[in-house]
Amino acid sequence: MTIADLGDGDNFRVKRVSLPKEIGKRLVDMGFTGGAEGYVVRSALLGDPLQIKIRGYDISIRKSEAAGIEVAHIGHRYRRRRGMRMFRKGTDE
Amino acid sequence: MNKIIRAAIAGNPNSGKTTIFNAITGAHQKVGNYAGVTVDKKEGRRLYKGYEFIIYDLPGTYSLTAYSVDEMIARDFIIEGKPDVIIDVLDSTNIERNLYLCLQFQELGVPVVAALNIIDQAEKMGIRIDEKALSSVLGISFLKTAGASGKGIDELLDAAIAVVERKEKLQRCVSYGPELEREITAVGALLERDPAFSSAYSPRWTAIKLIEKDAHAYQLIENHPLSAGIKLIAGESIRRIENHFGRDAEIAVSEQRYGYIHGAVTEAVRREIDVRTATERADSILLNRYLGLPVFVFILWAVFQATFKLGEYPVSWLEIFFSRLSAFASGVVPAGLPRSLVVDGIIAGVGGVFSFVPLVIILFLCISILEDTGYMARTAFIMDRFLHIFGLHGQSFMPMMLGFGCSVAAVMAARTLKSSRDRIITILIIPFMSCGAKLPVYVLLAGAFFYHNPGNAVLAVYLTGVVLAVFSSLIFRRILFRGEATPFVMELPPYRIPTIRGIAWHVWDKLWQYFKRAGTVILLASILIWTITSFPKPAHNGGDTARIRAKTEQALEYSIAGRIGKFMEPVIKPLGFDWKIGVAAVTGFAAKEITVSTLGILYKAEAGENGENESLRRALRDDPAFNPLVAFVFMLFILIIPPCFATLAVIRSEIGWKWLFFSLAYTGALAWLICFAVYQAGIFVV
Repeated sequence: MTIADLGDGDNFRVKRVSLPKEIGKRLVDMGFTGGAEGYVVRSALLGDPLQIKIRGYDISIRKSEAAGIEVAHIGHRYRRRRGMRMFRKGTDE
Repeated sequence: MNKIIRAAIAGNPNSGKTTIFNAITGAHQKVGNYAGVTVDKKEGRRLYKGYEFIIYDLPGTYSLTAYSVDEMIARDFIIEGKPDVIIDVLDSTNIERNLYLCLQFQELGVPVVAALNIIDQAEKMGIRIDEKALSSVLGISFLKTAGASGKGIDELLDAAIAVVERKEKLQRCVSYGPELEREITAVGALLERDPAFSSAYSPRWTAIKLIEKDAHAYQLIENHPLSAGIKLIAGESIRRIENHFGRDAEIAVSEQRYGYIHGAVTEAVRREIDVRTATERADSILLNRYLGLPVFVFILWAVFQATFKLGEYPVSWLEIFFSRLSAFASGVVPAGLPRSLVVDGIIAGVGGVFSFVPLVIILFLCISILEDTGYMARTAFIMDRFLHIFGLHGQSFMPMMLGFGCSVAAVMAARTLKSSRDRIITILIIPFMSCGAKLPVYVLLAGAFFYHNPGNAVLAVYLTGVVLAVFSSLIFRRILFRGEATPFVMELPPYRIPTIRGIAWHVWDKLWQYFKRAGTVILLASILIWTITSFPKPAHNGGDTARIRAKTEQALEYSIAGRIGKFMEPVIKPLGFDWKIGVAAVTGFAAKEITVSTLGILYKAEAGENGENESLRRALRDDPAFNPLVAFVFMLFILIIPPCFATLAVIRSEIGWKWLFFSLAYTGALAWLICFAVYQAGIFVV
């Protein structure tokens, strides 16, 4: 599972970044290291790019880059929206 | 004699480096340029407790592995410039990522003091930092500062002095864990064999960078006598690391470094409450999936209105001032050539330079506010999806829109783009965003030949411009800048209230650049245009002289400009143009609206001296060389041909001669081809 598979408000824990050299290293430099936790804040109008919260700050990445960040899905941030999640695609992990 | 301390202020972007720089140096600063690139080099001085600090404000960087021009400059300054101390400015609200850079500075072996900046905001967010604990865990002095209010600045300087005076060898460094440490030691031991190298570059740091496969580090060791052996050993180390960690070595190093930081932060930083910050609340509206775009369009509209509507007033005052000045000069300077030079050449030229000044001030006031609040990065987030289709970056949008107002301002605004590739493409397509000065030309021609629906004709020209911009961007991306698109990894910094000082500084800086770079060129260009339209004068052959002098259009025909027009005629004939159109286009290089006044000179006499534009319109209609098709092709020609001298001057200063010539050739060739195609197709259809 990668960040690109997550929806708004989904929490994740990074497993690994598998992207070509320069961009992969950049994302790791920016804090996407194994074990780091964060969540998807929102996506822009057409679903791309994404706003991600990681290590306490906000970063924007394109979906193509998000698809290279393998994560574990660890729940949802906004409790009150839980009911809605029945209608979301896919399962956790 | 004061002891001199050379201190470099470094840190992540948006950590408030510049506020710290301003708080330390006060007014004692100067701005230069790093050789070959348009990145400001800021330097300031401060006398403090018998020491003279020379402070350098470096561009923001996230890591010592450089990706952008800004980051390369910061890295090279620190590695090659060898400051006595690095003052690392950290954003306390975002401490983990900021420490990532801080610890790389420590590895370099240069003394570091760290400013926990924006501490007031961090405390409001419930982030409690025990700076003593952090200092003792990491072996760096941490001091709490708030650059905007000047809090903690003296303590920071005291700490810098202490670190420089102690000159202690570093007690501690990041510990990467046994597997990595073994490899770092092995590679480092080889590097240390050359004393010249190891006194210039920290062997430990170089070893780490080699394992991180940093291209710059591999360049550094080229001069090392054992470079071949080092590369071999480093290669083996990398292989062992990748086997052990199951991932790329450079990623393993970063992860270990973050792991070390995480440990330190767990000990020294507590997050008491998880409040929803003001930034998060603001973003829920400003970046809202559906509201974000309308809000942005509204802000863009407001910036436009402020710049071009509000700016009209001071611009018109300046125009009145300069018309009075030329009236005054006409009274003082003797008639004939000197008066013509002063009034039509110099005053008109300087007036042309100054008339942009109110626009530049207002525009950069708006842009600085948008940048310093943190909104500018968000516009890229909102627009990226749309622009990415055309190979552009989200942040290209703002400069492109500004291009509809003034290309000079738009080209300067393209500096917000961090990647030079994106910046070059954006600047190259800005001239196709039809600027405000071209509008009078369109209005004149559309009014004369498309009087049933002038609006549609003008709109068609504007849309053609947008299509050409998009099309050119795709071509440039495919041909000139092949390879993958620039990754869109961009921090969305917390919203901050900009300081008046910071804004004033940005505006002044832009204004000064405008004067320095564009101003001189525009003045020279105006004199050039004046010269080619005034010389040579028609010969004095007998009684005819007076009559010839009276007829400016004949004088213009006789001048260099007229001859250029005549000379160009064979080239522009296939586009349906005669020499007069050629002359009007050439004089448009001084400023596009001058094309209208040139047409005025060329046609006024034939049309009689009454009335302004209406007579000119009638004269154009009466000219057999003109018809609606020619008029439309002429409008397209004005749209596509190279922009005015002022724009060319800023293109050169922003991206260099090479791209300026490219831009000239591209727009010139494209203008001819498109006008040729449209005219020939038009004749065929009609």
